Amino acid sequence: MRRLRSRLALVLLCAAYTVSLFWVFTRSEPVVRAREVTIYFAHWQIERGPPDGINAAIKRYEELNPRVRVVQLQIPGATIYPQWMRSNLAGDTGPDLMEWGAWLPGEKDIPARYFAPLTAELAKPNPYNRGTSQEKIPWQDTFHDKLLAPKRDSPDPGQIYGVNITEVSLRLFCNVELMKEILGRVVVPRNFDDLRKILAAVKEFSRKTGRPISGLAGSRDTTRAVAEAVFVAPLIGVAQRLDDAGYLYLYNRQMLAAYLGGRWRYSEPAVLAGLQLVRETTNSMKPGFIQLRRDDAMIEFLRGQALFFFYGTWDATSLRRLAPFKIQPMKLMQAMPDDPEVGRYVVGQGGEGIGETSLSMYLNKTSRHPAEALDFLQFLTSVPGQQLFTDGSLWLPAVNGVVVPEEIRNFRDYQEGLSVGQAPYDALGTEVSTGWDKNFYHLTGDQGSAEKFAAAMDADMPAAMRMDLNAEMRATLVLVKPQDPVIVGWAGLAGAKARTRRQEAEASQTMSEGLALQMKLQLEGTK
Amino acid sequence: MKGLSVYPARNFFLPLVLAPLLAAGAATPDNPDRAWAALADNRPQDVLRQLRPDAPLRADRLAWAAARIGAQPATDGNMREAEAVLVELEHGTDELAAEAAYLRARIYQLHLNEPDFPKAAKLYAELAQRQPESHWAQLGLVKLGLLKLYLLPDVSGAGADRLLAAEMLLARIHEPLLRRDLNLQIGQAGIALNQPQARFLPHLIAAEQAGGVTGNAQEDLIVQIGVLSERGGDWARAREYFEKYLAAYPTNVRAYTIRRKLAEVNHRLAPEGQP
Repeated sequence: MRRLRSRLALVLLCAAYTVSLFWVFTRSEPVVRAREVTIYFAHWQIERGPPDGINAAIKRYEELNPRVRVVQLQIPGATIYPQWMRSNLAGDTGPDLMEWGAWLPGEKDIPARYFAPLTAELAKPNPYNRGTSQEKIPWQDTFHDKLLAPKRDSPDPGQIYGVNITEVSLRLFCNVELMKEILGRVVVPRNFDDLRKILAAVKEFSRKTGRPISGLAGSRDTTRAVAEAVFVAPLIGVAQRLDDAGYLYLYNRQMLAAYLGGRWRYSEPAVLAGLQLVRETTNSMKPGFIQLRRDDAMIEFLRGQALFFFYGTWDATSLRRLAPFKIQPMKLMQAMPDDPEVGRYVVGQGGEGIGETSLSMYLNKTSRHPAEALDFLQFLTSVPGQQLFTDGSLWLPAVNGVVVPEEIRNFRDYQEGLSVGQAPYDALGTEVSTGWDKNFYHLTGDQGSAEKFAAAMDADMPAAMRMDLNAEMRATLVLVKPQDPVIVGWAGLAGAKARTRRQEAEASQTMSEGLALQMKLQLEGTK
Repeated sequence: MKGLSVYPARNFFLPLVLAPLLAAGAATPDNPDRAWAALADNRPQDVLRQLRPDAPLRADRLAWAAARIGAQPATDGNMREAEAVLVELEHGTDELAAEAAYLRARIYQLHLNEPDFPKAAKLYAELAQRQPESHWAQLGLVKLGLLKLYLLPDVSGAGADRLLAAEMLLARIHEPLLRRDLNLQIGQAGIALNQPQARFLPHLIAAEQAGGVTGNAQEDLIVQIGVLSERGGDWARAREYFEKYLAAYPTNVRAYTIRRKLAEVNHRLAPEGQP
């Protein structure tokens, strides 16, 4: 009996050892690394497509750079990514390269605190573009929009902190079979009034047949996108009226200051007209949509319970792979001056721009391997790297010179027109955005109206706008103060590079300081 | 002690393990650029670990003070410690003395919990008086300009006085890039202070012509000069800047509007016999 026990113990020990070996060599980090440098690349684009495209680029990069390993970290967005990013950056355990977006609530200070500016590198050609059409062109100018968003969203107007991986636009994804069933043919809306008529036809079809079909798949996330797209047409005239600086484009800080100065209100006629358009579109969503998320709306659309799903082209690959029906992307046209309902407030055709690049990646200031991380970023945003990304993801490339696959070519069919500003009036800052969500029920349903919503917003907004302008000012100051020792550091170092860096730091610090002082003046002048 | 005699191997390995750690803690910078590089890389804590406020070299003491200003927590007590070092360093006539004086003014302008703007202005003015050609005095004049534009009580009257006070400093700034920066700030302040366009637009034009503005600021500046010129009826200048914008940023969201504006400006210029 004792011998049996001993044998049993030995067998168990061997089994445990074997399982441990298996675990260590298959599931854990290798004991000895095959490559001396590992860089981590974190993002929240876990839709179908991007991880495949990024993996394809990583594979090629690792072939070219045998000493470097790149690990892609896919962190779910919305609620998890911001906390994950903040805690890792604060704990100095952040990945080398990270995605960040200016719209993430409460994360405005992140670039200034944690990311390294790339301005100097962006002024030089990308070495991985050698032998391509983008050879010898400064890295920054190889991007389709010359990095509009990273420049616009930079806390420091003189610096660029991020580079973009893809290009996105917003589209109405239409269930072609369902449209034929309802309208007898495929109707591409040419203006907002056409869309209005299609949505009315869907409502009538649903009433007649008793089938629960909505015009637009509904959710809190997609509602924001729809609202922002239709809201802006009557706001163009408001923006032009407020554009003292002559930018033809209003930054959030300018809109916030103008509101505090009493120069615009949600209850003024043009803004009310915009809200009326939001109400018209959201009334074509199923009841209770504001409690749902993007994935719920996608499921509603994929089940054939909604004619349109409106969101970014970033969802196109998922939709194509999952839908059992044919999908046609269409533009959501804005209201025009001849619109029967709101035309008198519309001064002209609103534009989508000519393609804004997105999926902004930033270099962690405390990266253990900044040179390698920057090098990978250059490869990923080079013509060969972007070709691999685009082919693997079916997402548009961010740089020029890449062959765009046929399936996604029409994503670049942009509507040219007048511009408004950094953000529509629902998302000027964290507090404004929260107020919009909190009061949104005043706008929708049988009991709601544009007037009720505007009155609720105008009651809440003076305090919210003040807090958001204060936050903008603080985020700018976060950047200004640490620059003093940085400037002293560059001044102490010899060489042309150090001199250039010092001059850049001095110029951008003065610009940021000036901006912060303007905001202070506006805050104090409107108390 | 008993333990050590029982485990003789520990007697051997312990110093081996501890020696590098002790050495690392006591290390002095083996490269004079190490502290500057750490500051440039925004790692002031590393400098505080490397250097002491009573280091024999003046440059090391300056680096320590700059790091003290930049390191967290940014308490007034830490700023006073840095200031004490800077006060001692600013006695002299070299660039390092000027740099120390500049940093001291920055403490009063920006880094104290309750900034003292008049004191900062006084320090900048004294530095510019003492060493007018020093880079740090020149940079200090730009910062003094910001104080005069927005913060100083002695120019709290009409906005025009604020611009004038900053404009008077321009003549004393000889470094082109710093002149550019103050020109840009006067121009932007003119808009914020609701001044007549003729008062501030020349400053924006001067800043743009100096060149080298980076990031979004350059793009904004070109649009701004074009649009403000158009509003002021200076069609030729408006055309110049609209064309400049379209050449540099043909795909920007503003390009559509600018193309329309350019067409309007060209239409207006045509009867005037301009090509």
